[in-house]
Amino acid sequence: MSESSAASRGMTIARWVIYALVALTVVLPYFVVFPTLKYKVSPESAKLFDKVNSLKPGAHVMIAFDYDPASSAELDPMGRAILLHCFKKGLIPVVMTHWSSGLDNDRKILAETAARAQEDMKRQEPFVSGRDYVFLGFRPGYSNLVLNMGENLKGSFDKDFYGQPTAAMSALQGVSQLKDLDLVIDLAAGASVEVWIAFGSDRFHFPLGVGSVAVQAPNIYPYLQSGQVCGLLGGLRGAADYEQLVDANGAAMRSMWSQSLAHVLIIGLILFANARMLLARYRRTGKATG
Amino acid sequence: MFFKRLTLPLIIVFAIGMAGFVQYYVPHPWSDAFQEEMTTWFRVIGGFALFLGAYSLLHMHVTRIRRAAPGWGYSVFVFIGAAAMIAVGLYNDGKGPLGPDQQKDWFDWGYRWVFVPCQATIFSILAFFIASAAFRTFRARNAAAVMLLVAAIIVMFGRVPINEGVSGWLFGQDHRQVFSGAATVVNEYPNMAAKRAIILGVSLGAIAQSLRILFGIERSYLGGGD
Amino acid sequence: MSDAPAKSRNLKSSIEMGVVALLVVVFMVVSLFAQFIVQDAGRHFHFTWGADPRKSIGIIIAAGLTLVMYSFLYRDNAFFKVAENLYVGVALGYTMIMACWRQALRPDVYETLFYAPTAAAFWNAALHRAMPILLGILLITRLSRKYGWLSRYSYAIMVGWGAGVTIPLTVNSFLFQQLYASVAPFQDAVAPHAAMTAFSGAWFMNIGLPVLGAVVVMVGTVAVLFYFFFSIEHKGAGGAVSWLGILFLMVAFGASFGYTVMGRISLLIGRINFLLNDWLRIST
Repeated sequence: MSESSAASRGMTIARWVIYALVALTVVLPYFVVFPTLKYKVSPESAKLFDKVNSLKPGAHVMIAFDYDPASSAELDPMGRAILLHCFKKGLIPVVMTHWSSGLDNDRKILAETAARAQEDMKRQEPFVSGRDYVFLGFRPGYSNLVLNMGENLKGSFDKDFYGQPTAAMSALQGVSQLKDLDLVIDLAAGASVEVWIAFGSDRFHFPLGVGSVAVQAPNIYPYLQSGQVCGLLGGLRGAADYEQLVDANGAAMRSMWSQSLAHVLIIGLILFANARMLLARYRRTGKATG
Repeated sequence: MFFKRLTLPLIIVFAIGMAGFVQYYVPHPWSDAFQEEMTTWFRVIGGFALFLGAYSLLHMHVTRIRRAAPGWGYSVFVFIGAAAMIAVGLYNDGKGPLGPDQQKDWFDWGYRWVFVPCQATIFSILAFFIASAAFRTFRARNAAAVMLLVAAIIVMFGRVPINEGVSGWLFGQDHRQVFSGAATVVNEYPNMAAKRAIILGVSLGAIAQSLRILFGIERSYLGGGD
Repeated sequence: MSDAPAKSRNLKSSIEMGVVALLVVVFMVVSLFAQFIVQDAGRHFHFTWGADPRKSIGIIIAAGLTLVMYSFLYRDNAFFKVAENLYVGVALGYTMIMACWRQALRPDVYETLFYAPTAAAFWNAALHRAMPILLGILLITRLSRKYGWLSRYSYAIMVGWGAGVTIPLTVNSFLFQQLYASVAPFQDAVAPHAAMTAFSGAWFMNIGLPVLGAVVVMVGTVAVLFYFFFSIEHKGAGGAVSWLGILFLMVAFGASFGYTVMGRISLLIGRINFLLNDWLRIST
């Protein structure tokens, strides 16, 4: 066997061991009972919660589900926790999306969270679309749609997702433009945050909060510091923070052990590989000088 | 012909662009009405653009099948998937394409049990690759690489809840936020400084590109030919 | 001699086929037990379609597709390619029906014109929609070689507008506001605490630390911009600033890498959640 093929076989074996370890660390918490993780909510997550919490019943919170199922694992729990908070506080969530491929997922989340809120609150009456919440759905246009909603929200969406006219919808009373909303939260998997900032909140003046996939989260900090964004949920940890704040015990909180163990594994792998490199370098240097 | 095919479109680009630019600075109801009218246009055109995009992709696969290009057999599945979804979508559980949308039909089924799992899984595969790549390539070979590595480890560890337990165990229960605090410092200062510089750089680039478009220097969006 | 590698390949391929067949059987049996077999009080197993058999079959198919997608970890294979192409097709069909028709052309074109409640509403819609519909149709001429040039008018209007509105909005949101945010902390930290005794504990917390943070941010931003924009040879003082810029960039990339790991692991957790909770029904 040649040296290179032996090396590649060795690498392949290492690759398989790594794959198996990653799978194991993620699966382990499903079968082993670990102690409850206690942690403090991140300050940027708390800011968003405080903003929603400060709104009075009847206030309108637009939640833009700007993602598709590829990012569901991170953003669905955020969407559910924020919606639950809105329902429990008597706020009116107005949901829309720029990503058409997430539409039926968004509809499902909204319906399930409305049902859960009703159950949690022991409410006789169900939350009704058009009265207690609105699902506007999708329209093409992206940045132009934001500008369009800024001028005439009900013109952009003359009917909601279910085909109900929005003009006389009781849930949208007093809302005709984006600036009439009390808060907009963008759940973002892509560059929609920048669109909402430039074409939305800075242009029409309304507060903007962000729930972002982890990959995008570090890019949001400049907007958080400048005040262009009033709070940030970053990745699954951000979702877990919000779930903790609204006492939701959702998927994100339950996933924190898997997340923690996988991170520790990857840090361990990096440190191990570096230690091995340094040791090899030390030996080489030792041989050269010795 | 040259005028109709190139000069006139470039004149339109300049005129519409300048109108869009100027209306931002004009706080007048007419200016708002103009913006609303234009953005309504783009909402409507967007529907046609979506059709164009989807049709082009489908057409590409149909051509591959027709020409029996290498791997054409797989394109058959694109066609099957698209045809099935379009058929059940138009059927709309018997209500037809103009009837009220049905929420629990085969269209929804195809979305939930084929589209969602495939898309979500494709991206989750990267979890394995990133772990493997981190092990194989992440080396502290020089000062810059050390900075990268240290920042990555601080953020990776500081953003998962287990760090507080470890911090409490190492530094005492009154100091549970040592690692998460370090991650916050990394995110809010050096990370933010670099990201802000990137935002400024990208913005200057976007403005330059917009000016190139307005003045007809950049024309690639018009497609090939004269 | 030359037959030996071919024989080895054939053997490997046969083993792989056998393993695949075995995995399919195991998958079917596990799915059957997880979704359709229940245990009664007398500890006897029996088959039931359950409350929603369509959903159960959907879950099995979704689990199958998930595992087929993960087979890519072993290597690229025909099953993966079939699933991948099927996904592209379903996504395409979904976009055509949901985005293109139900959420765009039907409400904005068809219903507005053909379901106008009054004659006045129809003429109003016709007035405001005629032009975009025409431009939309012109856009589709791009599919034609002969008339493709007509689509240039639609693109000209869309791209022209985009370029025009982007300039002031970008200048405001991403230049002015970001630049202001870089200097504002100095004013915010110093102004309200101007009377504070210098170098006291309170001074350090209220003025010292925030100003230090703002200085770090400002130095980092300037250094990175210097590294990006100045094409002079990076040596001497310029080289030092440029090197500092690289260090800041590296920290930012490190933070991004850390977050990327977090995101990818979260996606894996999402799929494991589905497989264990929905498919195998092992509740946590």
